[in-house]
Amino acid sequence: MSAIPMIELRQVVKTFKNAAGEFTVLKGIDLTLHQGEFVAIVGKSGSGKSTLLNMMTGIDHPSSGQVVVNDTDLYARMNESQRSLWRGKNMGIVFQFFQLLPMLTLLENVMLPMDYVGMYDFDERPERALNLLKLVGLENQANKLPAAVSTGQQQAAAIARALATDPPLLVADEPTGNLDSRSADIIINLFQALADQGKTIVMVTHDPSLTSRTSRTIIISDGELVDEAVAQALPLLHHRQMLAITKTAGRKHIEAGQMIISRDSQVDAFYILCAGTVDVVLTGKKREDTIVSRLEPGQFFGEVELLRGDKSIASVRAASDGPVELLVIARNAFLDLLKQSPLTEETIAKIVQRRLAENKSADRRE
Amino acid sequence: MTRTLLVVFSIAVGVFSIGVISGAHVIIENDMSASYAANRPANLELRTEDFDRDFLAMLQNASGIVDVEGRRVFNIRARRTDSSLWTNLDIVAVDDFENNTINLLTLVAGSVSPGKREVVMEREVLEEFKIAVGEEVVFELPDGSTKTLKVVGIAQDPTTGADDFLAPPFAYISMDTLATLRQPDSFNRVYATVETGQNDENHIRVMAADLKERVEKSGVAVYRSRTAMSNEHPLASTVNAILGILLALGILIVFLSSSLIANTLAALLNQHLRHIGVMKLVGGCNSQVFAMYLVLILSFGILALLIAVPAGGLGAYELANFIAQKLSFGLLGRRIVPLAFFIQIAVGILVPLLAGFVPVINGSRIKVLSAISGEAADEMVSRPEVGAKRESAFERFQHQVTASLARRGIHFPRPLLISLRNTFRRKSRLMLTLFTLTMGGAIFIAVFNVRTTLFDYMDNVGRYFVADVTLDFDQPYRLTEIEAVARQVPGVVDVEGWAFATAEVLYPDGTVAENLTVLAPPVESQMVNAEPVSGRWLQVGDSKSIAITEGILRSFPDLKPGDSLNVKVGGREQTWEVVGFFKFIDREGLIAYGTYEYFSRETNLANRSVSFRVVTDRHDKPYQAEMSELLDKHFRDAGYKLRQAQPGLSALSNATESLDILVIFLLIMAVLTAIVGAMGLTGTMGMNVLERTREIGIMRAIGAVDREVMRMVMVEGMVIGGISWVLGLFLSIPFTYLLSLIVSLAVFETPIDVVFTPVGYLIWLGLVIVLSAVASVLPARNAARLTIREVLSYE
Repeated sequence: MSAIPMIELRQVVKTFKNAAGEFTVLKGIDLTLHQGEFVAIVGKSGSGKSTLLNMMTGIDHPSSGQVVVNDTDLYARMNESQRSLWRGKNMGIVFQFFQLLPMLTLLENVMLPMDYVGMYDFDERPERALNLLKLVGLENQANKLPAAVSTGQQQAAAIARALATDPPLLVADEPTGNLDSRSADIIINLFQALADQGKTIVMVTHDPSLTSRTSRTIIISDGELVDEAVAQALPLLHHRQMLAITKTAGRKHIEAGQMIISRDSQVDAFYILCAGTVDVVLTGKKREDTIVSRLEPGQFFGEVELLRGDKSIASVRAASDGPVELLVIARNAFLDLLKQSPLTEETIAKIVQRRLAENKSADRRE
Repeated sequence: MTRTLLVVFSIAVGVFSIGVISGAHVIIENDMSASYAANRPANLELRTEDFDRDFLAMLQNASGIVDVEGRRVFNIRARRTDSSLWTNLDIVAVDDFENNTINLLTLVAGSVSPGKREVVMEREVLEEFKIAVGEEVVFELPDGSTKTLKVVGIAQDPTTGADDFLAPPFAYISMDTLATLRQPDSFNRVYATVETGQNDENHIRVMAADLKERVEKSGVAVYRSRTAMSNEHPLASTVNAILGILLALGILIVFLSSSLIANTLAALLNQHLRHIGVMKLVGGCNSQVFAMYLVLILSFGILALLIAVPAGGLGAYELANFIAQKLSFGLLGRRIVPLAFFIQIAVGILVPLLAGFVPVINGSRIKVLSAISGEAADEMVSRPEVGAKRESAFERFQHQVTASLARRGIHFPRPLLISLRNTFRRKSRLMLTLFTLTMGGAIFIAVFNVRTTLFDYMDNVGRYFVADVTLDFDQPYRLTEIEAVARQVPGVVDVEGWAFATAEVLYPDGTVAENLTVLAPPVESQMVNAEPVSGRWLQVGDSKSIAITEGILRSFPDLKPGDSLNVKVGGREQTWEVVGFFKFIDREGLIAYGTYEYFSRETNLANRSVSFRVVTDRHDKPYQAEMSELLDKHFRDAGYKLRQAQPGLSALSNATESLDILVIFLLIMAVLTAIVGAMGLTGTMGMNVLERTREIGIMRAIGAVDREVMRMVMVEGMVIGGISWVLGLFLSIPFTYLLSLIVSLAVFETPIDVVFTPVGYLIWLGLVIVLSAVASVLPARNAARLTIREVLSYE
């Protein structure tokens, strides 16, 4: 994975108009995905995830905002036809319903994008297509029509087709939505392997279990993105609750090494680490500091104190290697949230127990 | 909406065509003979040597004859005052325009009663040169000088020359004007109507024989006699034959449009499958769905009728009017033809019901699950069962061919493969489209073949007109003398004097069967390139021998070479031997060839002739015209009484033009069928594109630019066009034979040899490619305009 941006969405708004009026599906999306990432875009039905994907693929136009993919502004000075050609060269698309052309064999389906964009010598294309089918385990089915192979095999062939022009980016819309779990597993493994090779994979799914296999999960709810740190920190919340937190939580910037919570001080907020790292520190009798644990983005602190009503059991400060971005949720808001989500409350209670135990043993060592 | 329009339009096309053709059929059938009868056609016509008014008065007393009129008819050249282009006209001089009772003229403009030095033109003259009432026309007199007459009227003459639509146009003058045109003040035609049995052919023939005998006994030679019934236009059978062809084409168009309807309805129902599923889900039963779609089809039919019935009625009248003008008869006015109206209603309601029956039955029987999932409509929806579908034999064949070609190093680009395979995906739709387009193509090609066949036949007729210039004199001249004078004109290669005789072929009972004109070139003439179809041509030593056209077989079906015919020549009965038969266009009686050696002696013109044939060193039409002008001037300057010098091919040009009209007619029908075919293709391509929108979206998603998408659709259209062309090649063969037979029987009254020409095939190839491209361009553009979101969003 690198820090080179592959997809950048800037203030993307998409509004649909129909007889009933206007309906905004995407409400000012800002998002950057990097080369080599395996990203899952997750959302409930109607959340806008497919529309978001359509913005990235150039399949649909944003009402406003900018989409830059692989250094190309998709909606500036490109018509539909030019975008098709660009897409053929830069992006492989995998659909939920495979969308292989039924009149072509699997091999011919894989060769088609090369024909369309004119990549590779004409005579070289069959061999390349066969190699791609080998990659997905379909070399023995190459000359069959899509309808004559299983759905899992059709999706594998669709992936081979998406790779035909060796694009740096693969976009998949519910690629496993129509597959049994074994076939789905094979497909996800394939995506992982491709991501490992440096391809950027963006996959829309409504199956939360798949997110554990991806390197990054973007949650979309009601046309807005949930802060990734919130989603990571409180995964058991409903998407709407996550979004509410994303929107209502305060944001705090802390310089490197700066103290956030001092031991024995009053804590009245729940903190989620968005960027940077923080150290949980105990100060010994000789005033020397011991780092009990280091928290990464997506982790949180402050919950022990809020739930127990005590003073801080340890100090928390920004690590010395860089500044820190925090989401700050006020005590009452946090307690309300737990009331609304018993599962989250239960999980956090366990974390509190664990952290207290860790703290105790660290204290003893001091 | 588009499909609704397409269905309505498909029905309307069929209803319109059948309305036009059936309406025109009825109008012509009625009006042609009615208009003919209204102008009081002569039942008998005698072409005689000149006679005067006293003689005519004597004929008026003949028993069984009601009206008798004498007229003078002669051929003359005429032109506009500001043109040098001469046109051959037949002038009819009428004694009393106010009181004539036979072969009446119908007024078109001005007056039909010309005074002295005035002329009335038949409407057909206007096709030769534009002339208006009040303008003047120049006529060429026998001595080469000219006279000008004022045109006082344009008339329509449905009766004179009605049996010969290859005849030159007519003009009418009063007897007072004859002197102006240096014609004697005498008659050379007798027109008469019989008292009873005006529609009894036998009775009329007997009356004609009586009258003829009476004329001949009075010392006036009769060259030719002709009979006709009052209530039947002489060309009625010909026109009916042609209308028959049109009717067959009309029925074909109904068939073609019904295939269009079936195609479109099937696609419409496919589109409605989900709705049908929903209807069934909420309690609709098969019969309710069936009834609903029947009502829909009926509404389509009614909509189509609203458009097509008035349009068809209008078209019928216009078509009838066109034919009427060509054949010079009047129509009885615009009207609704009940028969055509009911046929249209029946076609508009029944054809869609029949065509839509199968799709509607299938649609209404569909199961809820497959309707809701759209499986039946959509081949691309996933199939959960592993390997659920096996390749069809045809698909296997396609892939084997592709694979086998690939092994030989021949690879098709996949976009081309898509077009090729898409062509065969909807086989029943393809079949219907091919049927329509192939029929259109086959008829189109056949029309060209028929045209060539007709003109080839005319060329064959030209074998008997090898001469480049024909010189007709008012008096006989010695052969050697004319040859010597003619050879003084540079370019003249050969000169022959021909003898002529007119005769009547008699039935055994002595009545006249046919009029016969005998052309008698020298027996070893190089100017007749004869090809007898049976028997032999004339040879040295033949005397009372003739080679005769096949037309004689109408009256004597059993006549064979070597048999004899009883003929009457100049009032004397003789027996001539028929040595052979040849093909020819019989105009105003039959043609036979005899030998100059015999017939010149018979006509007391040995070594002399009034008619000479000249061969020049070049044989193209302009040169012939130029040479005839030169010879005309040369002989007149030398003081010879030349009546006319005619370029050789000009005799054929009138006939050719008339055939052209016929061919244009057929071509219009061919183009109509081709248009229906192209419409079918447009509909098919439109439906294909609609059904494959999602596939097109996928292609866009994986890199297909507009051009590729359009090309995919257009190549498919052109592949269909190409296949229909190949099929059309074969189908055009029987069509050519059938159409040639009908037309030749109608026009020449004899079957003629069919000739094939590549022209029709090539033009149709070009046309079918263009039509296919045009037919698929709109669907292709629509396909290219689809955004991917539109086509993929509905999952």
